[in-house]
Amino acid sequence: MSQIKSVLSNERGFMLLNVVFLTVITSFAAMILMNAAPRARNHQSTLRLTAIYLATEQFAELESLAAREDISGNQPFLGNKDDLTSNNLGADNPIEFEVTTTVSGGRAKVKVTWQVGEDEFKIDLERTIGSVQE
Amino acid sequence: MFRNNGGGFVVAEFAIALPLLILLMYGLATVSVQIFSLGKEQLADYVLEAEAQYVMEQIRQVARTAREVEISPSGGKVKFVYHVVADKKSNKIEATSVNGHYVFINNDVLETQYFMLYTKKGRTAPNLYAKRNDDGNYSTPITGDNYFGDTKVNYLKCNVDADKKLLHVSLEMESLVTERKIKLDTAVYMPNYKAGG
Repeated sequence: MSQIKSVLSNERGFMLLNVVFLTVITSFAAMILMNAAPRARNHQSTLRLTAIYLATEQFAELESLAAREDISGNQPFLGNKDDLTSNNLGADNPIEFEVTTTVSGGRAKVKVTWQVGEDEFKIDLERTIGSVQE
Repeated sequence: MFRNNGGGFVVAEFAIALPLLILLMYGLATVSVQIFSLGKEQLADYVLEAEAQYVMEQIRQVARTAREVEISPSGGKVKFVYHVVADKKSNKIEATSVNGHYVFINNDVLETQYFMLYTKKGRTAPNLYAKRNDDGNYSTPITGDNYFGDTKVNYLKCNVDADKKLLHVSLEMESLVTERKIKLDTAVYMPNYKAGG
């Protein structure tokens, strides 16, 4: 204890304290900076939401079609074709969605895919159709 | 002149440490402001997304059982009408409580309206309101009026395809904080829909 006191009471001790304090403050600042860097917004939730509503649109079209006639096999996108392009990521970065549908045994499987940069994303949804009666 | 005493050392220390500290504090302040603004933007984005999803889900749920759909020519109002079975007391629409007794609406029609109220200056910040005929209170809008993530509805377009019994819904909302837009499109199959009411 007396040794520490003697070290701190001279100039070398003062310098030592300075170095310690500056290091702590610099580390703290660096930690905040490094935490702030990856704080970019993840827009996938918005695109996933858009894709889910596109799939819902396709399901509604399939339900409507199934109420009028028997359907099975692969189906094209029956909704509004303009809905397949979304500007939800920004007007200068339009995203194209692709909807593929397979109907078998009264069940429809809808797969929606989209691409952001080089990354591909998809959602798979399934619903029973054709059993809706008035 | 300071070499022979401790004072010179302290001045040198201050000369080096003070600018360093000022730089550090400036950096920290800048980063803090950036974090706050990023957080505010992200919150506003999430509010925008959540409100758009909420409106779409509400319309999707209500339209599913709709028997009639009325859309105002300006597009600012959509009314879904569906009939409920009124032969059972439990199915009647509970309107209000008068002296401890419930009063029921006599007709068997339940209406849900979604509409925008416009200010005198025009479409400054239209919010969407929802109203049911058994509950006339629509003082609070279902979108907008948030301090950190205020939004406005750019348009709510509904088109009915009577032959297919389909309702196409297109909603575009904009955040007044980040000015980002979100547009959602979907369709709802209405098995009970009767063309012409």
